[in-house]
Amino acid sequence: MQLSGIDRNRRLLTAAAGIVLAAVMSLVLIIGFRLATQIRAGVAMLQQASELETYPAVVAEQLTALRQRLDTLEYTGRVHAELAASVSGFDRDFGALEHQRTLDPAAVRAATRLWRSYAPVLAPVLAYHGEPYSDTATSSALSRNGRVFYAHVRRAELFAAGHTAALHRELATVSGALQAQTASAAARLRLLLSVGVLAVLLLGLAAAYLQLARARGEHAARAAEEQTRDILATVREGFFLLDADYRIGAVWSQALTHLFGRSDFAGLSFEELLRDKVSPETLNTAMKFIKLLWGDRAHENLMKSINPLGQLEVSMDSGRGGKETRYLQFDFHRVMGPGGVKHVLCSVGDITSTVLLTRELHEAQENAHAQVDMMLGMLHSDPLQLGAFLDGAAASLKHVNAILKEPARHHGEFSKKLGGLTRELHALKGEASALNLMSIAQRVHHLEDMVAELTSRSELTGNDFLPLVLKLDELLAHLRGVREMTLRLTALKEGPSAAGSADSAAPSAAGAVGTGELGTALHSLARKLAHDHGKDFQLTLNGLAECPSAYLPTLKDCLIQMLRNAAVHGIETDGVRRAGAKAGAGQVRVDFRRLQNGYELLFEDDGAGLLPETLKAAAVHKGILSPEQAASLDDRSALGLIFKPGFSTSEQVTMDAGRGAGMDVVAKAVYGLGGKIGVSTHPGRFTRFKIALPAISETAVA
Amino acid sequence: MLREEELKTFVDGTTRYFEVAAQQPATIGSPYLLEGEPAIHDYTGIINISGKREGVVYFTAPRAMLTVLLMKMQESDFSHDSMRDLVGEVANTISGNARRDFGHDFVISVPSVFAGDKPQIPQQPGARAFVIPIHWRSHSAKLVVSLT
Repeated sequence: MQLSGIDRNRRLLTAAAGIVLAAVMSLVLIIGFRLATQIRAGVAMLQQASELETYPAVVAEQLTALRQRLDTLEYTGRVHAELAASVSGFDRDFGALEHQRTLDPAAVRAATRLWRSYAPVLAPVLAYHGEPYSDTATSSALSRNGRVFYAHVRRAELFAAGHTAALHRELATVSGALQAQTASAAARLRLLLSVGVLAVLLLGLAAAYLQLARARGEHAARAAEEQTRDILATVREGFFLLDADYRIGAVWSQALTHLFGRSDFAGLSFEELLRDKVSPETLNTAMKFIKLLWGDRAHENLMKSINPLGQLEVSMDSGRGGKETRYLQFDFHRVMGPGGVKHVLCSVGDITSTVLLTRELHEAQENAHAQVDMMLGMLHSDPLQLGAFLDGAAASLKHVNAILKEPARHHGEFSKKLGGLTRELHALKGEASALNLMSIAQRVHHLEDMVAELTSRSELTGNDFLPLVLKLDELLAHLRGVREMTLRLTALKEGPSAAGSADSAAPSAAGAVGTGELGTALHSLARKLAHDHGKDFQLTLNGLAECPSAYLPTLKDCLIQMLRNAAVHGIETDGVRRAGAKAGAGQVRVDFRRLQNGYELLFEDDGAGLLPETLKAAAVHKGILSPEQAASLDDRSALGLIFKPGFSTSEQVTMDAGRGAGMDVVAKAVYGLGGKIGVSTHPGRFTRFKIALPAISETAVA
Repeated sequence: MLREEELKTFVDGTTRYFEVAAQQPATIGSPYLLEGEPAIHDYTGIINISGKREGVVYFTAPRAMLTVLLMKMQESDFSHDSMRDLVGEVANTISGNARRDFGHDFVISVPSVFAGDKPQIPQQPGARAFVIPIHWRSHSAKLVVSLT
């Protein structure tokens, strides 16, 4: 901006100097022309005046010559004609002199008066015509007219002799005046030319100075331009300006080429810049934000706080034919002009390493917190129960790995894995939550998120499963850490003697968890769910001791899922219960009993019950049923929807609900044991699940 | 923990070999974690890695796959040595890809090649092995990445 201001001033000065030079030269030329004209006229008049000076003497001589001719009776015609021509020429030239305004009128007047005094004596001489002589046979003599003519000539001769010197003097005075005038004009012209030359010199100096200043300015501008170019080529951030059409300007930093893998930025729209790099939703949000920046009312600091591109995950070509994920940080600053926002300056930095480092730090912190929480939790947990969980988790993840290991080449084969993975992970998360092992539950939840994301894809390849298997490895490492910590705690609890043989004292055996521990875990889970979801309910357990150990793991999985469902979907909040005239806290009741031909589990909550229409609407929303199919479904079949994979009435996925995997897990587990499951409900009053399991041998029961 | 980008570098190096050498890209199957004995085919090319990560990466393929690959490469020598050379070349490409992407962070050994079902594969303590099935035409090989 400064450079352009200087440049503008310099241009103005140059233009002013040019105008002054042109004006001075014009003035000099005009005045010079007039003076030159004046001098030329003066010189001409001076010449005339000089010639006029000779006339009085010439006229006097011609009069004398005429008189002498008359004396000697010679031919007078030629001399008379010359005299007439001289008087006529004098009259003509003197008349011209009289009309010159520049002459001193007094000098001219004196000469005029004197010359006019010649007229009376010259007139009879000039007016004479004819032969002045009369001839006889023997002689010639002046005729009568000749004698009169002679007398006139003689008088004129005498008059001229008396006035020639005076007239010559007067004419010399006029010549002198003319000479002085011409000299004065010549002097003025010289002065004018000197002034003109001086002015030209001064203006030339000014022009040279301005040219020098301009050269200096251009040099500075070139140096500044070079510095700007060096900065733009060296800086590690990408810089560019966006115009009102959200297009990139002609100047941008070289780092952009590396950041975006292209070099055609000039004129490129911001939307095109990001189109292949981010999801359509992110792009849409980014464009809305960019448009907001052009609003006059938008506060820059406020805008900065809502910048959706502060940490943008983009997918870039890796240069190896594949894609890689990078994190870019966009920052925006508005460039204001007189008419409002002129440009938006955009800076882009690659913060991938920072993001990854922060993530690693965050994970490390989370791990540390989780380990502390885990330790605290484990101090209050039964080691046998914990060990049983870890064994069960290891078995679950082994099953997850087995699902992954099943050969797959095409989308269908990959897609088939997802259902099994969802069920396995959901059950594991439920168990971890029941034991309040949140670091494990959260990791499994993250894995579930990844599986859910894959479920939404229309085309799956092995590459899509790479993050999943890495996460699985991370979860297994975490479980290994938890197991090691459990062993140490067990050793500590049992005293120094046991510490040395911690490995042998490791809690193990999947079946080791007893019904007592299951009851404790379910009560703990109920308290946590009530706290997390702001519900007030009591869990009553009956007959769990009747459960054969072979069914215990399945019973545990089913009860955990049903308890979570009851807490999230069934039991109402206090306000809703009071409005529905329900007394006190909610009730969740579990009854297990042995029958003659098997076992029966009843699970009942006195909550909101199931509304077939709500279930149908959720099934349509989730794409499980078409609207037509939902309309033709009877109430009994509508209740069966809750066992469909992916079915949920929750809009959002949380740690405890929303994936539509819970009742699917229950149903699959029951069917796996050859059992049956049924559901009955009364809207506003209760939901009841009835699970029938087949009888098994006594040894298994024991 | 191994990062996805690192795992992909090895996977890309492998699939790229097929694309360049046989003009027919390989695809990857469902990855999983190795449990128990290493999954080994007839010929195995191994590279040892140290530096930022420690462990091994190996490519193991059945004779049938390597034979078809040699045919596609217009080779007429299907001897034992040709098979060894080929599997070594795949390992070399994986190694080159890793060198290009990881630079000096990783120290990568010259590939060693084994034939038979009992190659000596060094185990890195604490490193779990990721198995990535490599499918090419009707054949399948395995890429195993075991790094800490």
